[in-house]
Amino acid sequence: MIEVKSVSKIFTRNGKSFEALRDVSFGVATGRFISLIGPSGCGKTTLLKMMAGLIEPTEGVIEIGGKEVTGSGPDRALVFQNFVLLPWADVLTNAAFGLEARGIPKKERAEIARAHLDRVGLGGFERHYPHELSGGMQQRVGIARALAVDPDTLLMDEPFGSLDAITRKVMQHDLLRLWQETATKTTVFVTHSMEEAALLADEVVVMDTRPGRVAQVVEVPFPRPRDQALSDSPDYVQFTAELSHNLEQMQRIDMARSLDDESNADG
Amino acid sequence: MANWLAQYWVQALGLILGAVAWEVVGRAGISPALPPISAVIAAGNELWSSERFIESVRTTAISILIGLPPSILIGVILGLLMGLLPPVEWFFRPYVNASLSLPLVAIIPIILLIFGLSQTTIVVVIVLYVLPVVMVNTFAGVRGTDRDLLDMARSFNAQRGLVIRRIILPSSRALTLAGVRIGVGRAITGGIVAEQVIGVLGVGGLVQRLGGAFAVEALYAVILFIGAVGVVSLALINRIERRYQIKET
Repeated sequence: MIEVKSVSKIFTRNGKSFEALRDVSFGVATGRFISLIGPSGCGKTTLLKMMAGLIEPTEGVIEIGGKEVTGSGPDRALVFQNFVLLPWADVLTNAAFGLEARGIPKKERAEIARAHLDRVGLGGFERHYPHELSGGMQQRVGIARALAVDPDTLLMDEPFGSLDAITRKVMQHDLLRLWQETATKTTVFVTHSMEEAALLADEVVVMDTRPGRVAQVVEVPFPRPRDQALSDSPDYVQFTAELSHNLEQMQRIDMARSLDDESNADG
Repeated sequence: MANWLAQYWVQALGLILGAVAWEVVGRAGISPALPPISAVIAAGNELWSSERFIESVRTTAISILIGLPPSILIGVILGLLMGLLPPVEWFFRPYVNASLSLPLVAIIPIILLIFGLSQTTIVVVIVLYVLPVVMVNTFAGVRGTDRDLLDMARSFNAQRGLVIRRIILPSSRALTLAGVRIGVGRAITGGIVAEQVIGVLGVGGLVQRLGGAFAVEALYAVILFIGAVGVVSLALINRIERRYQIKET
């Protein structure tokens, strides 16, 4: 269970402060897959990094399993938007990094990492270097690295955000399959694609900007196990269209507001 | 590979053109200080095999071989510490910055006063001249480590030792090697300039004596030799650098 309790975050830089999050509260039940979605600047990545223990809230607390998050921990693993692999290390070493950080002996961690590379479809690529792989394959290494430490909570920060549309689709469906096989891993998945959120998540937390806050929490009505066929069903198409419409509306309001701000500043 | 070959050809062309221009200017007889390259090489042929030249080169080479490796080693270690521990950076920063802009000839007399007319003076000058560039480059390499990689390591609770070994050292390697490359050049320059100030030891001493005797052709022959040594040693380092990069990326 992840509980976000009245979390606010104010960043200060050069004397100017920026309110990234205001009074954000919601909960994620154990074993659920939730998606954080919202326009850029809504603080969704900040919130995720707080759950990972990389950023501290200015106010409020995040509790995971009843314990306050005060730093990173072995119960969580993070998957990054831009993969963040070690360019000078091969795929196996990269996938085993989390295990190495845990002090697991070389032979054992190679074995575990290999098994997870197989699961994400990278068997046989152990000795390749990241620059020899496509973006999609690099992110598979990132996912294998996170899964290899067997975290209770999987935190994913727009993991497919920098991939092309087709690769993205393939990755979404592979993640769906992988997650449903593993199940029970509480997952928080940041995205700005409604289609992605509706396909993968049990629940979508829609956020708005300036300041970042929760606008809406929507239960995704499609039963599991889901598969590729879901994305063609009329219900799914209608569901995502409605939510996308809301998001667009928010973005429009935000744009109008920033125009106002600018003209006020000029006047 | 074709590019490689083209590079050699262009380099050879540049050297040949340079030599031709030198010859032409020299033969024009503008100044006795500008002899043609043919005269320089003729003088060089005699000089390069002479006992006093070989002895001078040996002396300078020994000073560099004594001074350079510890400068690199200590420079890399101090640079790493500066990058990893802010107080170490704060402590050394004024010294490093000052010594990077300090003219070499200004400090040599002081060192000469301390260590006397000896090889120790030369070695100390080399160390003082090489150390700061190696430090500052290694430091920059450590500080330039990708923040995302550090965040990633932090998210997995990686211990400091692992972060240094797996992330900071490999990512700072390129800049550290660049510092070493500059350091080698500075060791040669620093050593010879110090010898010249002292006036009796090594290649620098030889330059001083030849200059004093107006042996212009022989002087140019020594300068040609120093240039050639610089070219060869930097090419060697480049080769080592390339080998590392192919292995590690």
